[in-house]
Amino acid sequence: MIQGLAIGILCAGLLLGAWLGVQAGRRRPTTEAQMVAAIVLEAALLLQTVIAIVRMVGGAAVVESVTFVAYSVGILLPLPLGFYLARVERTRWGSLSLCFTAVVVAVMTLRLMQLWQAGRV
Amino acid sequence: MSEHDAGTDAARTAAAPLDPADAAQPAPEDDTPPTGPRRVLIALYGIFALAATARGIVQIATKFDEAPLAYSLSLFSGVVYIAATIGLVTNHRWSRPLAWAAVGTEMVGVVMIGLASILDSTAFPHDTVWSRFGAGYGYVPVILPMLGLMWLWQTRDQHRTNVDAR
Repeated sequence: MIQGLAIGILCAGLLLGAWLGVQAGRRRPTTEAQMVAAIVLEAALLLQTVIAIVRMVGGAAVVESVTFVAYSVGILLPLPLGFYLARVERTRWGSLSLCFTAVVVAVMTLRLMQLWQAGRV
Repeated sequence: MSEHDAGTDAARTAAAPLDPADAAQPAPEDDTPPTGPRRVLIALYGIFALAATARGIVQIATKFDEAPLAYSLSLFSGVVYIAATIGLVTNHRWSRPLAWAAVGTEMVGVVMIGLASILDSTAFPHDTVWSRFGAGYGYVPVILPMLGLMWLWQTRDQHRTNVDAR
């Protein structure tokens, strides 16, 4: 993992969640910009997962390696699910679905950072 | 999802992203559309199915002997979330009974484990998804079954007419 990238993803997840939460509050379906933002965030997640696993295989210390890998791979799944739901559900409920999945990504990133940091001490 | 749903979805997608009919409808009946809240529930249940099952498998695979009961419960809760997700996603005769059973089990489980973990913390020294009413997961595990039961209860009549129509 790279600290800066992880913090960026964490903030992006929360911001996207807030943006979509407002959208849902306004009873609107997701906009194209929000869908693009979700794709960009997913790309950043993929990059981060690759970096994390490469560094782990390269010998970086991780306390709970199985959990860490499970989180690293699992974090890629919520956004595609939310993206799909937001596409088929062109109402505010689609916005809310993508909102929740974006927040989950932020929470999972936080957990990943904790696991990674625990290995640094 | 029924063909009817797919039809309206396509129509909505065509009118997206700023469907005026959708945006400018503050009518109260807009608060209980049949598919919308279900999709939000699918998002949440899908994530918890993944999280709880993965957690249970990791715990059982790496340290089952430390706390067999707690780790078995983790896996059990994962299976319950998977069942609930299947019940919400599919549209068969058994889908809603499955959803009722799974969400009901989840509600009972989170209350029982939540109470037990608070009243007798020595019996549950190892956390599960449902310990302390799901505090480790932002209390979502205790809120989720309430939302699920509310949705199942509110949509029970629509379901009846759907089955009759088939």
